[in-house]
Amino acid sequence: MCTDAALVMDIKKGNKKAFGKLVERHKKSAFRMALGLVGNKDDAYDISQEAFMRVYRSAKTYDEAQPFLPWFYTIIANLCRTWLQRRTKQDNRMVSIEEASFLLVTEGTPESKLIAKETVARLREALMQLPFTDREIITLQHFRGMAYDEIAALLNVPRGTVMSRLYYARRKLATLMRQSDG
Amino acid sequence: MDKDLRKLLAGYVDGELTDEERTAFEKELQSSAESRAELEEFRKLKEVTSMVRYADLPDEVWESYWQSLYRKLERGIGWILLSVGAILLLGFGLYHGLHDLYIAPQVSIWVKICVTALGGGVIFLLVSFVRERLFAYRRDRYREVMK
Repeated sequence: MCTDAALVMDIKKGNKKAFGKLVERHKKSAFRMALGLVGNKDDAYDISQEAFMRVYRSAKTYDEAQPFLPWFYTIIANLCRTWLQRRTKQDNRMVSIEEASFLLVTEGTPESKLIAKETVARLREALMQLPFTDREIITLQHFRGMAYDEIAALLNVPRGTVMSRLYYARRKLATLMRQSDG
Repeated sequence: MDKDLRKLLAGYVDGELTDEERTAFEKELQSSAESRAELEEFRKLKEVTSMVRYADLPDEVWESYWQSLYRKLERGIGWILLSVGAILLLGFGLYHGLHDLYIAPQVSIWVKICVTALGGGVIFLLVSFVRERLFAYRRDRYREVMK
C-alpha cells in the first residue's frame, strides 16, 4: 500500500487518482477532527473538504521527509481557527438543534440515556467554551482515543507538553461542567 | 501541587505512565488530598466523555464526498480562469478606451477632466476602503479570540 507521503508526491505530479486515494483514506478522520474543534457537522464537512483542496493546491510545498498527518492536521486546525474567529464575530447566531447534537450518547437503557443526555449537553456547552488549544487536546485524547506519543507527533510537541496541556484542559473542563451544574 | 505531579496526574488517569512514574505518583497521592480530589474529578470526566461518540454523516454523504470535492476543485479552477480573463479584458478595454478618449481632439477638455476626476475618485475611494478595512483588522482586539 502506498504511504500518504508517496500519494502526496504523486499529487504533486498532477495525479488525480492519488488524490482520490488520499481523500478516501482520510475523509472520515478529517471530518471528525474538524467536528471536535468546531462542534458543527455541516461546517466540519466543509472544513474537511477545504483541507483536502489545500492539500491538492499546496502539494508542491510538502516535504516528503516529514510525516503527512501532522501537516494535514495543521491545515485542518488552522481552518477551524479561522472559522471560529469568524463565528465569534457573528456571535448572535442561533445554535441549531442539529449543531447541538454533534455529541451522541453511545449506550444504556432509555432512562440512563436520558440522564446521560443532560450530562452530554453540559459537556458540549463546556467544551465549546474551552480555549482552542484545550479543546484540541481534549478532542484528540478523549474523543479520538489517541495515545500521548501519537498526539505529541501530531502536534509536534514533547510528550511532557501533552501531559501538562491535558491536565490544564481537564481542570478547565471540569470547572466549567461544575459551574453549569449550578 | 507541583508541575511534575500535574503532568503525572494526567498520565495516571489515562494509564500512560511508566512503572517508575506510576509508583512515584501513587506515593505522592497518599500524602496529597488535593491530588486525590483532582484524580477523582478527572476520572468522572473520563467517564462522561466515554459515554459519548461523535455524530456521523449519513452513508450517502460519504459516498458522494469525492464527487463533491472534485466539483469544488473544478469550480475553483473555473473561477480563477474566469477572474483572470475578466481582469485582463477589463484592463485592456479601459486602457484603450481612455487612450482613445484622451488623444481624440474632438472630445472636449471638460469631458477629459470629468473622466479623470471620475477615475481618480474611484481609485481614491477604493484605496480609502481597503485602508479602513486593514486598519480595522489590525485594531480588532478580538481577532485572536477563540471559543
